[in-house]
Parts: sequence; structure tokens; C-alpha cells
Amino acid sequence: MALIDVQDLIKRFDGKEVLKGVTMSLSEGQSKVVMGASGCGKSTLLKCLNLLVSPTSGRIIFKGEDITRPDMDIHRLRQDIGFVFQHFALYTHLTVEENITLGLRKIKKMKTAAAREKAAFELERVGMIEHRNKYPAHLSGGQKQRAAIVRALAMDPAVLFLDEPTSALDPQMSREVVTVINKLYLDNITMLCVTHDPFLAKYISDSIVFMHEGVVVAEDVAERLFYEHEDPRVRQFYLSVIDHR
Amino acid sequence: MTFGNILIILAKGAGYTILVTLAGIGAGLAVGLLIAVLQTTKVKAVQLLLAAYTFVFRSIPLLVLLFIVFFGLPGMGIRIPPFLSMVLCLGLVSGAYLAEIFRGAMAAVSRDEITAAEAMGMKRVQIFFYIIWPQMFRMAVPGMVNEFTSVLKYTPFAYTVGIPEIMKEAMSLAALTLRGLEIYLAVGIIYYLIYKAFVLLFETLEKRFRIPGLAGE
Amino acid sequence: MILMDAFVQDLIHYSPQILAGLKNTLLLMAIMSVTGIAGGIGLFYLSLAQNRFLRRGTERFISFFIGTPLLVHLFLMYYGLPPLGIRLSAFAVAVIGFTINVSAYNARYLMTAYNGLDKTQIEAARAQGFRFFQIFRLIILPQALRLSVPSLTNQVIQNLKDTSVAFLIQYPDFFAQMQEIASTNFQFFKTYVAAGLVYLALVSVIVAAARRLERKVALPGLETLGRA
Repeated sequence: MALIDVQDLIKRFDGKEVLKGVTMSLSEGQSKVVMGASGCGKSTLLKCLNLLVSPTSGRIIFKGEDITRPDMDIHRLRQDIGFVFQHFALYTHLTVEENITLGLRKIKKMKTAAAREKAAFELERVGMIEHRNKYPAHLSGGQKQRAAIVRALAMDPAVLFLDEPTSALDPQMSREVVTVINKLYLDNITMLCVTHDPFLAKYISDSIVFMHEGVVVAEDVAERLFYEHEDPRVRQFYLSVIDHR
Repeated sequence: MTFGNILIILAKGAGYTILVTLAGIGAGLAVGLLIAVLQTTKVKAVQLLLAAYTFVFRSIPLLVLLFIVFFGLPGMGIRIPPFLSMVLCLGLVSGAYLAEIFRGAMAAVSRDEITAAEAMGMKRVQIFFYIIWPQMFRMAVPGMVNEFTSVLKYTPFAYTVGIPEIMKEAMSLAALTLRGLEIYLAVGIIYYLIYKAFVLLFETLEKRFRIPGLAGE
Repeated sequence: MILMDAFVQDLIHYSPQILAGLKNTLLLMAIMSVTGIAGGIGLFYLSLAQNRFLRRGTERFISFFIGTPLLVHLFLMYYGLPPLGIRLSAFAVAVIGFTINVSAYNARYLMTAYNGLDKTQIEAARAQGFRFFQIFRLIILPQALRLSVPSLTNQVIQNLKDTSVAFLIQYPDFFAQMQEIASTNFQFFKTYVAAGLVYLALVSVIVAAARRLERKVALPGLETLGRA
């Protein structure tokens, strides 16, 4: 049974249809990347799955539950989904450690000491332990994103969502973060990542879901999608983002 | 006496309120600008004097200052009529706040532009008028609007020195009719309308003078 | 010189009243500063409500109390309520009137600070599964308060100055006492100037405390929004 099952998802913003009937699924232990040109709806899709954005119609089944039903407990759902944002979105007034322990203490009701231990353990795994008492303003982009990833993972979610995690980073920092996410991939963390970066996509996905103007057009492994795909829309996109030498 | 009658009687006082406000704003601007310009000199004594001035007049309650000027000075042989007393006090206090606002706005003008003007051979006075003032003025607008509405909200004190503005009319009316609630509610509404009118006026003026790219602080 | 001594003697003679007045002034100032912050935070919270009517209503409430003179609020309660049978003491009127007034200003400062916040943090908090009240308490408020410290401390100074207005509704504050002394010894100028000097001294103390608070509270990335 799939962890997430999306059926015919439609989202309309003020008369404009951004998602025109998306169908896809994600199983436990799988890692998929959603790619497509700007405006194809990939970020909107992600935000519908944790109800940051409310779908106009369609069904989303998460862990066997229909989360689009009216009496769904949104907060409980979100507590089970880790979310990493393009611009990090760390809490400016808290240190790295405090950023991570906040959710552990206030949502999971962990005791402070236990929360700090967990935070330290996770920070160690991504090589950020020496920055635990720093404020976000003193971190580089790559460090901020790694901290954000830890903040999401420390809650032990069922799945990790990443929305353009490397798009705001320069190439060097981008590699830093790709390395971390790749490690997660190798650890079989269930992930759904939205990106337009093919380098990232290749190293962290079992398969790539390609979207075009609000619908899923193709789904395949990176190699078969990137080079000479039969669908012209897919071909055109990858011709423009990959160096085909 | 209907509520309408009350409003009309109070509206007569509104004329004085607006007069006192405008005069107070004028006095405040004069003082504030003077101080802002004086602050650009490098003379230490002047700087100290100005710092002392702004401290004193931002720390003293307006009511106390008004009493010193109107009730205190006559004992020293200086008799200042009510309207002038009120305007003087408003000018001194408001000027101190405006000076701070102008100082901040002046400091925000790009040093590079001033250097460029100096390099062109402009004299200090010219630099002030053509480069500093236009930008500083626009950046000070939010602070100025704030300060001007403050002046408006200080005008009720004028009744203590006998100026027949809204508050004074309201008090005699209330003593007469014992309908204090309605009267003071009406007073509040009238002040609020005047306040809104002022804010609208300043916003329109600000839009006329706005320059793209010069986002105020 | 002789006059000076007589004047100082006068002050010493009246010092019990003066101190009582000072106590009333400081008491009022302290109370309204605290209730004003609490009220300000409350209004700030309401201004972020989901419900559109609540948001608009709060904004109108704040706008009205910022746009009308403090004295009007006080007179409204002190002279307007008795004919209806509600007779509040000068102290009660002062506390209520000042609290509402100060709350409105503080709410406005907090709202300004909120506009300067990086809103993606709020989205991240929602994504983590925090409820709105938690987001307000843990993310929005701590940052908005820090950014507003200069405005909020300036408001405390304003509070001190505003206490003198309470004298106009017969609250026996420090200025009221000085008024009485002046009307008995006819040394209006000296008495009022002395009163002014006392206010200056008190303000200096508040300013010093405010500067220390600003330093304590500043965090990297959250430098306070300039001096008001």
C-alpha cells in the first residue's frame, strides 16, 4: 500500500487552475523527485499534500486516511510530515539547537534534556554539531539548509518533503546540501522533493515525476527522462537544463 | 437640545482646534528645522546645547511646560497671551521631536551623493538645498505625520489657558446639560474626523512628492 | 537668594504631600505600562485573527484610540458616566483610560514590527504542525517584541509624561500636588520648574534602563527597528 496516494488533484487559485488533475503515489522507503518548468504546479502539489494549501478537488490518501475530508486534523497530519523550504525559514530568534528542540518540546512534548540529546545526535549526522549554539544570521546558506533539514527530520516524520532545497544556494553550498540529502536517500528515508536541479534529482531519487502545466506527463528514472525522452515537452525541458555534450 | 445641536456647538470650537494645530505644526517645523540645520555644524558647544534642548523638551510633560509658560512666567514679569503660550509650547516640544526625525532622515542621505556634489564644486548651502533637503524631507514624512497628529492630540490642553476650542465648549455644554456621555463621544468623533482628514491630507501630499526608488526608512 | 531658601523650605515643608503625589504618579505609570503591554499584546493577537471582522474591528478600535486625544477618553469616563449612574474614581478612570490608550499604541508598534518579519518562518511553523496560538506565542511574539523595544520603551516615557494629564480629572498625582503648593505660596514659576526638573530626572532613569534593555535583547539578525 502506498504511503501517499494522490488521485486527480485539482487546485484553483482565483479562477486560475494550477493543478489540473494530478495523480501520483509514493511508497514507504521510496524517494521521488517532482520536476518541471516554473509554473507547472510542482510546489503547489507539495503544499497540497500537507494541506498548507487546500485542494479544490481530488483525493489525497496518507497512511490510509483520506486527508481531504472535512474533519481531518490538519495539525496531526503536518506533525507527521517534515518540510524543508527553499529559503530555509529557520526561526531567527532561536539558535540552531533551539530551532530543532522547539518542535520536539512543544509538539512531541519531550523533556528539554532529551530533546537536546536528540538534536545533538541529528546535528552530528549532518556535520553541524559545532554550530548548535549559533543564530541563523551567522550561518551560511548551506549551513542554514542543513539545519532546516535536521529540524524537519528530528520530528521523525513519516515522509520528508523538500521544496526547491538547493535553489537559493550557490553551487558550492548546493553540493553540501545534495551530499546530505543523498545520505538520507541511501538511508531509505521516504522523500518527495520538488526541484529544477537535475544534479540533485539524479542523486536522490528512485524515480522522477515530470509535470507540465498542472498534470503529470511522465514518470521514469533519471537517465531515461533526461536524455532523448519520447515526450517532446520532457525533451524540451531537459535540453534547456542539462548540458548535453 | 438634540445631538445635532450639540455637534454644531462643538464644531465652532473645532475651528480653534484646527487653528491651534496648524500654528503648532508651523512652530514645530520652524524649531525642528532650525535645530536640524544647526546640528550639522561641528562646534561642540552647539551640539551639546542642542542635545540638552532635545532632551529637556522631549522629557517634560506638555502640560507642565504650558503651566510654566502661562501661569509661571507672569510672576517673572513676562505675560504671554493664551494662544501664543499654547503655540509656543507646542512648537518647543514638537520641534524637539521633529529635530530627531530630521536628524535621522539627514543621516540616511547617501554620503556618496554628498561627496559627488562636493567634487562638482557645490557650496555647502547648495548641497543642502539641492541634494540633502529633497531626500531628507521625503524620508521624514512618516515621522512628521506622526508628530503632527500628536500636536492635534495635545490641543485639548488649550482649555486650561482659556482658548475656546472644542474641549472648552464641551465642558460648558456638559455642565449645562449633564449629557456628558453624548457630548464627549461627539468630541471624540469630531477629533477623529479631524485626525483622519489630516492623515488623508498628508498622504495626498506625500503621493504628489513621491520619488521612485527613494523608499523612506 | 533669600527667596530661594524660602522656596526650598517650602518644598521641604510640603514634602510629605509631594512624596505622596510622586507615589501616585509612579504607581499610575507602572500600572499603565504593564497593563498597556498586556493589552497591546492582546490587541496585536486579535489583529492577526482568522476572522476578518475581528481583524477589521481591532484595526478600527486601535485607529480610533490612536486618533483621538487621551484627555477626551478620560473626560468621557469621568464626566460622561456619572449621569448614567456609573461613578468611577479618578484612579479607576485613569487606569482604564490610560490602559486602553497605551494598549492601542503598543499594538500598533507590534504590528509594525510584525510587518518586518520574515513570514516564511510562520509557514515553516505551520508546516511543523504548530497551532496558530503556539505560532503566535513561540515565533511571532518574541520577535515582534524584540524589534519593538525602542518604541515600547519610548511609550513608557510617554506614559510618565501622560500621568500629569490625570491631574485634570482630579487625580492627586505629583503635578496636582505641585499645583496646590504653587497656589498657596504663589511661586508659580519656581514650583512648576521644579516639577519639570523632577520629570526630567525620572525620564533619565527610564532612558538609561531602556538602553540597557535594548542591548540585552538584541539578537543577531534581529537588531531592533532603530530608535524611535
